[in-house]
Amino acid sequence: MLAPGVAAAQGTSGPALDYAVTCQGCHRADGAGTPGTVPALAGSVGKFLRVPGGREFLVRVPGVAQAPLDDTALAAVLNWMLDRFGRDDVPKGVVPYTAEEVNQLRRRPLTDVAGARRQLVEALERTK
Amino acid sequence: MDERYWIDRFVENAARQLAQRTSRRSFLTRLGSALVGSTLPLLPVARAADDARLPPPDDAALKGEVGDPKSCSYWRHCAIDGFLCACCGGSQSACPPGTEMSPVTWIGTCRHPGDGKDYIISYNDCCGQSLCLRCRCTRTEGEKPIYFTSKNNDLLWCFGTKSRAVNCSVAVVLGVATRT
Repeated sequence: MLAPGVAAAQGTSGPALDYAVTCQGCHRADGAGTPGTVPALAGSVGKFLRVPGGREFLVRVPGVAQAPLDDTALAAVLNWMLDRFGRDDVPKGVVPYTAEEVNQLRRRPLTDVAGARRQLVEALERTK
Repeated sequence: MDERYWIDRFVENAARQLAQRTSRRSFLTRLGSALVGSTLPLLPVARAADDARLPPPDDAALKGEVGDPKSCSYWRHCAIDGFLCACCGGSQSACPPGTEMSPVTWIGTCRHPGDGKDYIISYNDCCGQSLCLRCRCTRTEGEKPIYFTSKNNDLLWCFGTKSRAVNCSVAVVLGVATRT
């Protein structure tokens, strides 16, 4: 109970605040999502970096690509999310997202989000 | 047979002693206390778990409607669109009995007029009953057009709930926002 109280007393800023105001409403504070409605980030988001196309997918999904954040803030939120919700899943040696990379990727939003996700999940299954 | 007879006698004696020592009224009193004690927290009143994380700012010091949770002008309601749960049997952070708080919500910030800080506010819909129709408010601070669905408050936000019927909306304080 102490840790959240301390965090609250210090205030929320930077990517944690951007996550709270831009993403948390659907993905929830603990990244659990809502089964059947909103996909979980916790224990899931980091795994996408294990398969080709996954890194790009995480930026091109509509919620990320269209987020009302500039490229620098968006890159920071993505890196914050990977650390917060995917630390155990991200492969070693992964480099953080940069504003330039995010800028390029968000210009190409996915048109078939569910299909792209399915392909990545199937690729992940094959790596097991 | 003997054994069964012994059990019968034991139960009969125990029942008689219990009946002599206690009254039905005392039993009912204790039963009632136990039921009330155990079921009150189970009433279908959804409370925002995060509310306990941070003591919300002191509203008692606020004068007028800006400190009144039943008013559209209440400071937490800077971006609310819907019926205030405080007018519908709930409060500014708790759903009315018989409704379920939507886990999917839209989040913004409102400035507390007392301490001048920006607080992260979660506008959760309470779902499972028809529209409350009391204290209708429409405030749009920070709201974006419908094509930014996650930042539009005209939508019904009963997602991930048993019922899609919206009753009212709460405004829960999640934390303090500090821009760096």
